Amino acid sequence: MDMNTKALKKNAFRVTKQRGVTASRIRVPGGHLEAKYLSVLQEIAEKYGNGTVHITSRQGFEIPGILFENMPYVNELLQPIIQGLNINQKTPGQGYPAAGTRNVTACIGNRVCPYACYDTTAFAQRIEKVIFPNDLHFKIALTGCPNDCAKVRMHDFGIMGMTEPQYDKDRCINCEACVKACKKKSVNVLKTVNYKVERYPDRCIGCGECVLACPTGAWTRGEKKLYRLTIMGRTGKKNPRLGEDFVKWIDEAGIIKIILNTYDYVTQHIDPAAPGGKEHIGYIIDRTGFEEFRKWALRDVQLPKMAEVSTPIYWQGVKY
Amino acid sequence: MKNEYRPFLSEIKEVIKHTDIEYTFRMAYDGEVKPGQFFEVSIPKFGEAPISVSGMGNNSVDLTIRRVGKVTNEVFENFVGDALFLRGPYGNGFDVNDYTNKELVVIAGGTGLSPVRGVVDYFSYHPEELKAMTLIAGFKTPKDILFMEDFGRWMKNMEVILTVDCSEDDAFCHIGLVTEYIPKLKLQDVDRAVAVVVGPPAMMRFSTQGLLAAGFREENIWISYERKMCCGLGKCGHCKIDDTYICLDGPVFNFVKGRKLID
Amino acid sequence: MGYLLTKEGVNAVLKEWAESYLIYAPVRMSGKGAFSETDSIRYAPITTVEEIEFEKKSDFPFKEVLIPLSETLFFFTEDQVTEADGPKKNAIILLRSCDLHSVKRLDEIYIKNEYEDYYYKRIRDNVKFVLMGCKNAFENCFCVDMQTNRIETYDASLEKKGDFYEMDNRFADWETVLERNGMSRRVVVPSYVTETNVHVSIPQGLSLDVSRSKIWDEYDSRCINCGRCNFVCPTCTCFSMQDIFYTDNGKIGERRRVAASCMVDGYTDVAGGGAYRQKNGQRMRFRVLHKVYDFKKRFGFHMCTGCGRCDDVCPEYISFSDCINKLGIAVKEVGGHNEE
Repeated sequence: MDMNTKALKKNAFRVTKQRGVTASRIRVPGGHLEAKYLSVLQEIAEKYGNGTVHITSRQGFEIPGILFENMPYVNELLQPIIQGLNINQKTPGQGYPAAGTRNVTACIGNRVCPYACYDTTAFAQRIEKVIFPNDLHFKIALTGCPNDCAKVRMHDFGIMGMTEPQYDKDRCINCEACVKACKKKSVNVLKTVNYKVERYPDRCIGCGECVLACPTGAWTRGEKKLYRLTIMGRTGKKNPRLGEDFVKWIDEAGIIKIILNTYDYVTQHIDPAAPGGKEHIGYIIDRTGFEEFRKWALRDVQLPKMAEVSTPIYWQGVKY
Repeated sequence: MKNEYRPFLSEIKEVIKHTDIEYTFRMAYDGEVKPGQFFEVSIPKFGEAPISVSGMGNNSVDLTIRRVGKVTNEVFENFVGDALFLRGPYGNGFDVNDYTNKELVVIAGGTGLSPVRGVVDYFSYHPEELKAMTLIAGFKTPKDILFMEDFGRWMKNMEVILTVDCSEDDAFCHIGLVTEYIPKLKLQDVDRAVAVVVGPPAMMRFSTQGLLAAGFREENIWISYERKMCCGLGKCGHCKIDDTYICLDGPVFNFVKGRKLID
Repeated sequence: MGYLLTKEGVNAVLKEWAESYLIYAPVRMSGKGAFSETDSIRYAPITTVEEIEFEKKSDFPFKEVLIPLSETLFFFTEDQVTEADGPKKNAIILLRSCDLHSVKRLDEIYIKNEYEDYYYKRIRDNVKFVLMGCKNAFENCFCVDMQTNRIETYDASLEKKGDFYEMDNRFADWETVLERNGMSRRVVVPSYVTETNVHVSIPQGLSLDVSRSKIWDEYDSRCINCGRCNFVCPTCTCFSMQDIFYTDNGKIGERRRVAASCMVDGYTDVAGGGAYRQKNGQRMRFRVLHKVYDFKKRFGFHMCTGCGRCDDVCPEYISFSDCINKLGIAVKEVGGHNEE
């Protein structure tokens, strides 16, 4: 049997243990989809697969047990999902045009969760729109608040929702619900002074616990959507590590620009001899030095006034 | 319209130190006032605290203040040769007419002696208005005793039982809780005897139980409540129990009403 | 006299009113809800009718105009006590029937109950009320059972009728401005609710004895004593006093009062560390009985007006109306009796 495995992988299929048998990988940006697409997955699994579906660690689906010869039929059946999830595509009916840049994951976000500072799925979809298709190995995740349920610090780019608390002292009655919530559930940056509350903005992580705790609406959320951008967390063999803070109080436009700039940086600096043309960005930065990365990443980025850029960054993690 | 919240400045005429943390401030005041009523005492920028009247003189009221909080701390720190802000008096206070020509028993615990001191003092000067009087005053330790200088005078005109919860060998007073002395009261006619009980909640509960067990009639017992009184004007709500505002309808209650007040 | 007005007509009326009044109405504040991308409906000064939120119940009550959450009473300098100024302007408050009924409750505490409250009175004397009709009850409303669904003692009314507005006027001084800006005269009866989804029944034979009932126990753990139910209640009046000195200059400061909640820790604290009603269930009992029992015993009518905001706001889904309906069980449990 002759099969171009490079082409197969780029089409979001997998080379499996079993010769001649593949698995179809379905990306779901932001991890949220209309339930009607589940019956499409079921149909593919039952018609061409082995009747099972795996929910992937990156919030996609993987349908195993598909014969190589059935890939074109699977691609045809996938078309409504690809279209329905608004995935950029080159030729309709031919499946996914790339697989290098991974599905953008997200926690449930503010469509459901009271803690989330924004609609994580919608933002994930907007990121997907500008970065896909792409062969480079990028992992991006979004989480609604500093609880980081989406574990974004294990990604190349981690986006964490923040809210800049707004305080109306005339509505504050000094019940101290916010002070207690901040102390017990967050980072203890609120203090009672003269029966009113003072916040240390430098140490505030923008989790919004004060807003949630306030019974009189004295604390409210800031109008601007702001985020913490963490970078270069990773799993893997050599040096798994948590992402470090890059920019605190950054906006959406800034995040997208930094990610796009990073694609240019990687294109420029990737090891041409990397196995399978795949090298984690973090290792490239380890090689070029952080400063070179920062230069590329922040090129033409307009940051909000209050944004704080961390530089230089040192990563920890386990080294083997 | 009168702004009831506006305090007036009152000169401190004298400070009588009872213990390290309990002083009586003799304040200039020439209005009408009854024992058991209270004033809101304040130091601007630090706050107000309700303090009961512990004595009345010519153009003065005594306010016995215990240093237990922010305001009272400040009062202690800054009183010297100065004045305090007051508003009041508030509340009903004790009516000595309720006790005339009867056998009166006053049971006081700790600072509870302050609100009732005026009653005791009145009858110490007018013993003929009572058939008999007993004062049972309890304190934690000898160091906590209030109005020490008064006890000698009171003893001349009434039976005084001064007791402390614990002590290292002090001969001048008894040891034990005030409640122990209730069954030992020698009364001519318990059916008509009257009693006043003021002190911490547990002490009041056990003392009133003791009085009832000793044969006192409910309607012959009076108690005074200490509650958080921020305004003294029936507005702030903190002292309300059931439909009763302690600051307006109390703090002194006949036990028939008082026993029904469940916080 | 009743009038039919265009939107422009109403705005012309508001404009003329604005010369002598600040006009407070429920407005939708975008993004000001506790959760992200949710709104909060609160009272704020308005200038046009478009700003008024007619469709939803306000999250926070109008009472904030009469008894601000935080109100300065005095300023202190080294040796002087200066009274804080009152509002510069008179006020008009747009509110629903239940809320206008609650003004009577506020008055009872702040103007009657032995002393007149100087700060309340100086605002209250200069407030006019404009009734917003209710076509339907909202979730959790039980105004009909509390007999607060209708009211006649408004100064004017304002209600949307299709593309137009109806106003009824009862304040003689406003007749000419309405006459001038109305399209036509007509008989206007503000809409009122006659049926609610939620019903309450306050049992006979209530007394403080029900504090012994087991019905309160579940609230010990369910309630988180945040006080939201008090702060959104249009009839809750409690406050605490606070004195402060300005940190940059310890010589001057102020005395203010801020809203207080009988559900929140510290409400009963007395000097030296004593406190009453430590359990949340007993705080609940205190609040519930005040609203539907002991206030009436003192003042002759129930405090609760059935607006349902306490139910709307409770993050733990504790329903006040549900609790009222458990009182019957409590009375039976402790052996009800009629007080003399």
